Amino acid sequence: MRNIGKIWIALIAVLIVVLLLGLGAFRWYIGGYNKAVNLDQGVEKAWADIDAALQRRLDLVPNLVNTVKGYATHEKELFENIANARTKYFNAGSREGKIEATNELTGFLSRLLMLQESYPELKANENFRDLQVALEGTENRINVARTRYNEAARLLNSYTKQFFGSFFCRKAGVGPVDYFEATEQAKTEAPKVEF
Amino acid sequence: MQRFFPRLILTLTLLSVLATTGYSQADLPMPSRYVEDYANVINDSDERSLNGVLQELEQKTGAQYIVLTVLSTGDLPIEQFSIELAEKWKLGQKGKDNGMLFVLSKNDRRWRFEVGYGLEGFVTDQYCGRIGRDVLVPYLRKGDYSRGIYESNLQIVQRIATEAGVSLTGMPKITPAPIRNKRIGLPCCSALPILIFLLLIFGGAGRGMGWWFFLPFMMGGFGGHGGYGRSGSFGGGSFGGGFGSFGGGMGGGFGGGGASGGW
Repeated sequence: MRNIGKIWIALIAVLIVVLLLGLGAFRWYIGGYNKAVNLDQGVEKAWADIDAALQRRLDLVPNLVNTVKGYATHEKELFENIANARTKYFNAGSREGKIEATNELTGFLSRLLMLQESYPELKANENFRDLQVALEGTENRINVARTRYNEAARLLNSYTKQFFGSFFCRKAGVGPVDYFEATEQAKTEAPKVEF
Repeated sequence: MQRFFPRLILTLTLLSVLATTGYSQADLPMPSRYVEDYANVINDSDERSLNGVLQELEQKTGAQYIVLTVLSTGDLPIEQFSIELAEKWKLGQKGKDNGMLFVLSKNDRRWRFEVGYGLEGFVTDQYCGRIGRDVLVPYLRKGDYSRGIYESNLQIVQRIATEAGVSLTGMPKITPAPIRNKRIGLPCCSALPILIFLLLIFGGAGRGMGWWFFLPFMMGGFGGHGGYGRSGSFGGGSFGGGFGSFGGGMGGGFGGGGASGGW
């Protein structure tokens, strides 16, 4: 009788240990899986912010081009390039395509802003100055959003390469993403304007 | 040698990525007052008056507005310097994102208004640009930094107070600068980030919403990832007489709005 009682106690103890271990493993699994999902969502959100900032700039471009057009009549090629880069962005299906079109546009826009050096009337135009500030504002927002996106991408990408991370990322269907790198041209030609 | 080159390339790529992701370099302690005049260009009475107004602004509207002058921003462009500090200090209330940071870098001859997300709707980039151009820079060119900083920032303070529907008793009489605030671009622009964000949330919810979704409810209390905000203290209270101290940021967010320039 006493023996049977001991066996029961031992069985229950083993059961509890197994349950605890199982629960621990389970929580570890959930934690790892959720981390993959959260990192991926972090990248998605950061990209959405970039997209919004880029969109904001694209909305500004027609206004800006029209203002400049009134003063700088023989810069047709630049205006066409800007229009093309804009179309390219809208037609780009992938993130890489959008990044490429964006970097192109950044270069052309900084050239557009530099036109004010050759056209003093343009430089003095209040509307142009406002648009310029608005453009600088969006460029700055793009920069900020890009820094945040790259940080989110770095966190995700390093997790996808980690020992357990790669396992969880596969389970969650999450893969590494591209960084958003500004072109050298875009960096050096970033509009710097003294009032 | 064959192994060396791929590694070199990998290292270089990593380095360039690190360079673009930009680790925080701007480093100043959390301000203890609303006006932090490291460059020592603001005279005492302007500083006291501005500090009092900014304190009243926070008490009445919750908006946290810091005026900062430094000698130099080092290697950083002022835009990066100011956003890094604004993020680090988490100016503004969490959720309302009503933080503002003005930075003037004396030796670099650059100024910047950094505007929190929540204020961008009425303290627009163009508005900041005009205040900078029409109010601040003329004073700076004359060498009167103190007046320039004082009057330009009071204009923006007044705008925030008006928008919040409060009047500031400590506000001196200032004539509003003749500034039109024309919205440029589509009015939908401000709603766009929100729309995209919502789309992402609801669009993304379908994916991977499997059995595990219910587990948190069943198991309760395992640590989530990616908590935001700040657990610091917010003390302070009123000291009166324009000597009010700043208690610390409340978790407001910044997205790079505002304007900058030189003189």
